[in-house]
Amino acid sequence: MTASGVLTVARLEFRLRIRAGRWRWMLGAWFAVLLGLTALVRAAASQNTIGNRGTRGAVMFGVVVLVVLALALLVSPALAAQSVNGDRERGTLATLQVTRLRAGEIAVGKLLASWGTALVFLAVTLPLALWCYLEGGLSSVRIAGVYLVTALLLGVVCSLSLALSALLARSTTSGVLAYLTVFALAVGTVIAWGLLTAVTEQKVAVRSEQCEDYVGGTETTPPTGVNCRLVGYESSVARPDRTWWLLAPNPFVVLADSAPAGPVRRITLPNGEVVEQPVDVDVLGTLARGLHRIRATPREVTYETGTSYEVPSGVTGAAVWPTGLAVDLLLAAGALWLTTVRLRTPTDRLARGQRIA
Amino acid sequence: MHASGVKRSFGPVRAVQGIDLDAPAGLVTALVGPNGAGKTTLLLVLATLLAPDAGQVRVAGFDPVTQAGEVRARMGWSPDVFGLYDNLTAREYLEVMAAAYHVPKATRADRASYLLELARLPERADAPVHSLSRGQKQRLGLVRALVHDPGVLLLDEPASGLDPRSRVELRDLLRRLAGEGRAVVVSSHILSDLEEVADRVVFVDAGRTVGQHAIGDLPAARALRTYRLRALDPEALRQALERAGVGWSEAGRAGVDVDVLGGEPSAARLLSELVAAGVAITAFAPLGGALEATYLDLVEGTP
Repeated sequence: MTASGVLTVARLEFRLRIRAGRWRWMLGAWFAVLLGLTALVRAAASQNTIGNRGTRGAVMFGVVVLVVLALALLVSPALAAQSVNGDRERGTLATLQVTRLRAGEIAVGKLLASWGTALVFLAVTLPLALWCYLEGGLSSVRIAGVYLVTALLLGVVCSLSLALSALLARSTTSGVLAYLTVFALAVGTVIAWGLLTAVTEQKVAVRSEQCEDYVGGTETTPPTGVNCRLVGYESSVARPDRTWWLLAPNPFVVLADSAPAGPVRRITLPNGEVVEQPVDVDVLGTLARGLHRIRATPREVTYETGTSYEVPSGVTGAAVWPTGLAVDLLLAAGALWLTTVRLRTPTDRLARGQRIA
Repeated sequence: MHASGVKRSFGPVRAVQGIDLDAPAGLVTALVGPNGAGKTTLLLVLATLLAPDAGQVRVAGFDPVTQAGEVRARMGWSPDVFGLYDNLTAREYLEVMAAAYHVPKATRADRASYLLELARLPERADAPVHSLSRGQKQRLGLVRALVHDPGVLLLDEPASGLDPRSRVELRDLLRRLAGEGRAVVVSSHILSDLEEVADRVVFVDAGRTVGQHAIGDLPAARALRTYRLRALDPEALRQALERAGVGWSEAGRAGVDVDVLGGEPSAARLLSELVAAGVAITAFAPLGGALEATYLDLVEGTP
C-alpha cells in the first residue's frame, strides 16, 4: 500500500463529494443550528449563579460538544455507508479495481474521504468552542482533547459504515444498518449495561424481623406480647463495577470521560483554607464522575440486618475511556480490514445479488 | 493471451463450463455467442476480477489470479455496462485513471489529451461527464481502457450505444490497435461489424467454446450462401444468369438474389462469368455475413 495510491482514491472521492452536494448550505445550516444552541445554553447558564463564577464557558462547552457529537454521529454514516456498494451499483468500482490500485489503497482512500468530510463538519464548530473559551472556565487543553477524541470517534463510525457498504450488496440496506450500528453504540450499550447489571445482581443474605399477627404500624418496635423472630432471606445488590465495560465503547462515555481536567470552583472555607470543587453543572464532568463511581469496587458492608456492597463516598474507580476508545479503535481497524478483504480481486465468492461490474 | 478449460460457477449456475480462447498479439479476436453464453464471465476472469474455479489462464504471459498486478499493468478492460464519475470532466476522469494506473504525473495530461483526441472528444474535454451523450460516454469509457497503453485489450460490447460513424471509427481504431501489436478481444452482438474487424472468431455457447476460426475460414462460408447482385442493366443481368443456368429470385429494386453453392471460389467464378458476359455489375455481396450465418447455425443447432 502506497501513500500515492491512497491519495489518488481519497482525492477522487473528496472531489466527487464536494461537487455532488450543496455543501455550503448544509454546513451553513449546521453552523446556524449549533450557534443558536450555544447562545441558548449561554442564556440558560447565565440564569444560574453557576454561570457567573468564571465557569460559564465550561458549562456551555459541555452541552455543545455532546450535541455536536450526537449530530456528527448522525451525519457520519451517511458519508460512508454507501461508498463501496454505491460505486458497485453505479458501475464505477470494477473499473477502479482493475487498475493498479490495491484493495487496501481503495479502502483507506475511501475512509479518508468520508472521515475528512465528517471532520469538515467538526471543524465548522471550532468558532463555537472559541466562544466558550472566551466565556471562561475552560482550558485550551480540554478543548483540544475533546476535539481530538470526537474526531477519532467519527473515524470509527465512518470505518464501520464503510465496512457495511463493502459487505452488503444494497446501499439502502447498508445505510440502515450503519444507523443501527450507531444506535447500538450510543443507546444499545446503555440498555445492555442496564439489563446485564439487573440480571447479574449479587446475592446477599439479609435478615429482618417478622412478627406473627402483626401487620405493622407506625411504631418502630412491635407491641409486647407479639411473637417476633429474625428471618433470613436472600436479596441482591447491583454490581455495576462488574458490567461497566459494556458502557465503555459508548461514544458519549468515551468523550465525557476522556475530556482533560474539567472546570473547578475555588471555595474559601471560613478557616481560610481554599478547596477546589468540580463544577456540578458541567455535563462532561458530571458524566465522568458518575462513570468513575460505577466502576469503583464496592466494599462489603455488614449491617445488623445483613450484608451489602456499597461504594464509600469519595471513592472513585479508574477511568473508563481508555478501554472504550481502545475497543472502538479495534472495531474500526477490524472494519477497515474487512473492507479491504471485500475489495480484493480476483474474487472467489460473491454475495447474493452482488455484481462485479 | 491464452485461456483453456476455464470454469466458473455462481452457486448452482455454471456460467462457464470450459471455455478455450487464444488471442494472439497483433490480431483482433471476436468473442461471439448468445446472451448468457459466458462471454462476460470469461472477460471478468481475464480482467483479473474473478477467480476461475478451474482452467489455465495467461494474460500477457502472467496468471491473472496470482500475478494480478503484472496483468493489470499490461491489460485494458472495458466492461459492457460501466459508470463514469458524473461530476468530473472528461479530462479529469482520464487523469484520475492515469494516476490509478501509475502513469507518471508528468505525462498524464498529455496522455489524457491524446485519448480525448482518439475518442473525438477534445471539444468536450472540460465538460462534466454527465453532460456527454451516450455514445460519447461509451467512447470515453473505451479510451479509459487505453490510458496505460496496454498490450492486451478486453472489450465487452464496445459498440453498444455507438452511432454508425462511431462504429466505423471503432472498427478502424481496433484495427489500428491490433496493428500496433496488441492482442484485442472484442465481444459483440453486432456481427456485421465484427466480421469486418476480426481476424479470428471464438464461438461460445452455454459456457463452452464451440469453435475457433480464422475469419476467412468460417464454416458457413463454405456452404450454401445467398448473394445479392445488382447491375446497371437489371434485364441484362437476368438474361446472363439464365444463360449461365443459375437460378435467381427477384429482390425488387435491391436487385436479384442468387444461391451459391461451394463457398467463395464458386462465387468468384460466377462473378467473373458475369463480367465476362459484359454485364455491368454494381453490387455482388453475400446476404448476411458468414459470421452471422455461422452464428445462426450455432444458435439454431442448439435448442
